[in-house]
Amino acid sequence: MKLELGFIEIKDIQFSNECKVENGTLFVDAEAVKAFVYEDDDVKAYVKSACFDIAKPGESVRITPVKDVIEPRVKVEGPGGQFPGVIAKVDTVGSGRTHVLRGMAIVTAGKIVGFQEGIIDMSGPGAEYTPFSKLNNLVMVCEPVEGVHQHDYERAVRIAGLRAATFVGELGRNVTPDEVQSFETYGIKEGIEKFPTLPRVAYVHMLQSQGLLHDTYVYGVDAKRTLTTILYPTETMDGAIISGNCVSACDKNTTYHHQNNPVVADLFEQHGKTLNYVCNIITNENVYLADKQRSSDWSAKLCRLLDLDGVIVSQEGFGNPDTDLIMNTKKIEQMGVKTTIITDEYAGQDGKSQSLADADPLADAVVTGGNANEVIVLPPMEKVIGTLNYVDVIAGGHAGSLREDGSIEAELQVITGATNEMGFNRLSAR
Amino acid sequence: MKNGHDFLIITNNPLVERCLGEYYSVEMFEEASYRDILVKVRDLVYASHTLYTHPLSGSVKPNETPYKSVVVSKVPHTFDPGEAEIIAYCIEAFDKFKPRGITLTDPVKRDFQLIDYTLICGAVDFDAAAGLSKIK
Repeated sequence: MKLELGFIEIKDIQFSNECKVENGTLFVDAEAVKAFVYEDDDVKAYVKSACFDIAKPGESVRITPVKDVIEPRVKVEGPGGQFPGVIAKVDTVGSGRTHVLRGMAIVTAGKIVGFQEGIIDMSGPGAEYTPFSKLNNLVMVCEPVEGVHQHDYERAVRIAGLRAATFVGELGRNVTPDEVQSFETYGIKEGIEKFPTLPRVAYVHMLQSQGLLHDTYVYGVDAKRTLTTILYPTETMDGAIISGNCVSACDKNTTYHHQNNPVVADLFEQHGKTLNYVCNIITNENVYLADKQRSSDWSAKLCRLLDLDGVIVSQEGFGNPDTDLIMNTKKIEQMGVKTTIITDEYAGQDGKSQSLADADPLADAVVTGGNANEVIVLPPMEKVIGTLNYVDVIAGGHAGSLREDGSIEAELQVITGATNEMGFNRLSAR
Repeated sequence: MKNGHDFLIITNNPLVERCLGEYYSVEMFEEASYRDILVKVRDLVYASHTLYTHPLSGSVKPNETPYKSVVVSKVPHTFDPGEAEIIAYCIEAFDKFKPRGITLTDPVKRDFQLIDYTLICGAVDFDAAAGLSKIK
């Protein structure tokens, strides 16, 4: 399957009374986006208001609480459309051509529960921890109608963000991209014939799937109701996986992370050179232990069936997923397939504690995204998009986290994407 | 909805008791802390009860939410060292988080109860929204 991505560089966003992309600037009429967002019945029923703001790199702006970050894209050739099974029909994506508005994102923000997490600082020390500080962000702050159930509201805000991204992505349909790249993986036999001497490598992509605010959707299906299965890597790049997860800001995978999964990007970079990138294996992280056993058994079975030489395994979240990570790794290794895992660490504020809630000697190749317990101080920002009401309550915050001057002392966990377990972050030990 | 004849839910979450008590055996420990629940579960696992759900369900951190629900078997079966290892790791993981000194407001407590409830519903395959609508 072959996918072409046409990258349209967005260097600026401006509110306007028209909607277009011109010379690297997105001109957007907030009312037009809002009208498109509100065509959805759930949004109409459950979202009282949706207000737009713009946050640019280097500005003294803090966005919080963040729900999701989404890159606007549009399918211009080939089957399917954006976010299949959710916004577009459920046709298989991952082939043809998709235009990407690169350098910007839609950020959804606002309260869902009273401990809603996630901070993006656009400047200062906090900005260094989140990749989203480098983007031009069109932020949609949502408010719920009174009395709405959290399940209904989470879904409505999730859909609202995807619809806003779809609307904006559509503006890139007839724009000539600044750069076009193509990505292709092959059928099993074809791949072996093409690269007979290269090691066969796949990506075991673990998806958060525990419950409300802890979910991921694949072609619209709640991942906790799926069995471990195979995707072409280009399906992931083309919007097949979306995030419904907004707990644990530092290591949740936003929709943007799925669209721009760095493991997929790096495997494609080496595809045909040092390795043969076979496929992605997606597997869930359920709470029920028998589900964990079944899913990890299937991961290992598929690795063997595909005659893989090695896999990269990434997890999402803390605690419960550590057990899935270790089950997957151990069983895959026992099939004779080499593994390298990507995780982050909760090693205590001094970094001296055991990092994961599970371990095994076979999991001996580990890449870390950083210690989420590390304490940081974020200086006050001139402008807050959203609200600071929840900072004391969120993970990584404590009583008095939010100081009188608007600065925040908290653990790294408060920052969206800070210790991302796909490795899409800015921490480094070099 | 899974067949829960053998399920025993150990919890300190009143919402779990209210919504699931009709369908499953629920042992409610109102005064127990999150850690107390983990220790009760550990003792049951040591006594050969089957551990059905992961004790660190959810990405809400153990020093963030006061609520925890775990499903074990009603009666002892066979001692499983793997399950004993999981619960031991969980208590170790709990202990590395510092207390935060926060007094939670009632709305925030209700939200934490809701999250814990939905996680356990997901685990036992119970329709969380339907359970909530029945108690309204």
